[in-house]
Amino acid sequence: MKKLIGFLFKLVKRIVLIGLGAFVLTFTIYMTNAENKLIYDVVRPFLTKHYDNQARDRRI
Amino acid sequence: MKERIISFIDDKLKQFDPVWLAENGKGGQRTRYRDDGSGIARYREWRGVEDTFQDYTAWLKNLGYMGAMVAKDPIKVMKGIWEYRWMGSFLASFAFVDRIYEGYRGRELDIANIHGNAIVRILTLRIGLILHNDKRLGGGEMTDKMIGLDETIPPLFTAGFPTLNAEPMQTMPEFVVCDVDQHLDPYYIDVAESYGLAPDVCSRCSAETGVAIDDAFPVFGKLVLSTNQPCNASEATSMFQRRRFHQKGIEDYPFVFAMQHNTKNGNEYSKEELRQAIQKIEEVYDVKYDWNALFEKAKNMNHQNQIELEKWEIFATPYSPLSGINESLYKLVEWALVNGHDEYFNEIDDKVIGIMRQAVRDKYVPYKGKTRHRAFLWGPSAMYYTDFPTWAQNCWGIDIVLNMDSTMGHNMIDTEDPEQALEDLAKFSEKGVMRHHAVGGWDNVNAVWEWANRLNCDMVICNDNVACKGMNGVHALLEEQAQQLGFHFVFLPHDLEDCRTIPRKEIRKAINDYMSIVMGEEPLDATLVDFDDAEAW
Repeated sequence: MKKLIGFLFKLVKRIVLIGLGAFVLTFTIYMTNAENKLIYDVVRPFLTKHYDNQARDRRI
Repeated sequence: MKERIISFIDDKLKQFDPVWLAENGKGGQRTRYRDDGSGIARYREWRGVEDTFQDYTAWLKNLGYMGAMVAKDPIKVMKGIWEYRWMGSFLASFAFVDRIYEGYRGRELDIANIHGNAIVRILTLRIGLILHNDKRLGGGEMTDKMIGLDETIPPLFTAGFPTLNAEPMQTMPEFVVCDVDQHLDPYYIDVAESYGLAPDVCSRCSAETGVAIDDAFPVFGKLVLSTNQPCNASEATSMFQRRRFHQKGIEDYPFVFAMQHNTKNGNEYSKEELRQAIQKIEEVYDVKYDWNALFEKAKNMNHQNQIELEKWEIFATPYSPLSGINESLYKLVEWALVNGHDEYFNEIDDKVIGIMRQAVRDKYVPYKGKTRHRAFLWGPSAMYYTDFPTWAQNCWGIDIVLNMDSTMGHNMIDTEDPEQALEDLAKFSEKGVMRHHAVGGWDNVNAVWEWANRLNCDMVICNDNVACKGMNGVHALLEEQAQQLGFHFVFLPHDLEDCRTIPRKEIRKAINDYMSIVMGEEPLDATLVDFDDAEAW
């Protein structure tokens, strides 16, 4: 019984810690607008360069 | 205790709240943005503990929808992003959602995020479906069971083909995504013009033509229904698009609606066109039209429209927490894309009308009581990528109570008699996107004054598309009418999807000039009057 309670306690502690970590991480991304900065400054310039170099069939 | 903690934190963090900054003359919404014209905020808006957490959870939900789309078929989604320029533009969706709901608090924010989540949900589902079944990316189990529809054809009637799936062809590559990223359509417009086509045409049609020339439509289905909706410019772009569809082995069928959609003969004509379009689909896909399947989805649509009629009553009061872009973008997606096909949107409507009814009972005053003018907007898609209604409220206290596009087909569809249902559907379909108040005669345009009166507006704002020959023709007539009827009236110059001809800043200047010179008013947020966002999405 003690073992089971100990296990459950550890499990709950781990879930709480993971949840807290996930919250801190996602809330930091949210508040600092990190995903938009990454997309605007890094991802889109890379993709735009790729799109500009695409050979597209424009015969219609 | 909880309230004390919240008000303590709110007090400590108020210098990050742009509304508080503007109220206290210490800054405003633009204070938190970078100075490079990118439109990227250095940090997100602090709205107080409760509203910030509400917005954060809505952001997480959107992230979840996008994650789910990728997880369902990661390879096709990656291939889609690599293949299609417009898929790259969808990455700006998070910034778009932030932009359009900027400054929202309380019940306005509650509804905005309910709507925002529903929009992201349906778009990610549909993009996922299209990419999964795109022949160019390998195809899927539904590839040959899909029907391509012109984006302006209301898809409700296709509910009678429950084994098929109708998808609007231009919605993902052009129609919706150009609102998310203003720099997308200029690329496709340039493609069309470099092909030798005239540059002084409707930029939406030009952009769609550019998508066709650039071979950037997803490839699915055996048949595409093209149309003359909303106007003659659409006929022209349909002619270019059909060439590309034919090259891909997709047949084209012109589904033509009566331009004079308020006449008995016009309705009869559209009804016959609808009957023939159904026959054509039966023939190409070898299926039989199922009226009972249609009636089931028509009930959803009727439910949606019943709630819509009640919303209009609430819009006429000063207590509606739903207005502006929050109202019009949701309505556009719900009407033009969902159109009764998804019961989830009925649940959303029920939830939102519940909040609105409560707001009336509580005599809730939205936007912290800062609204100075109530405006009816005659606005097409240039109002979305410019986030115009949100800006107008935050900067000058102009509440866009309703946009003309939100008055699309709202007649009820008979759910028992096929012949009556066909007639109702024809009427309903004729009043599609940018059509109810844009074509079909002067009376339809002139109805803006009736709407403004009905909604207790003191102002009418009319988008003035410099390339729209039809609306240019009624310019002086509308000005005369405004003068006679005593409305504050502003024309907003724009070139629809081409942000280079008339940039956002110039569009805002028309309002700035009117409000400061004609009305002699001071802005609510001085940082919003004149700023550079030319490089923003």
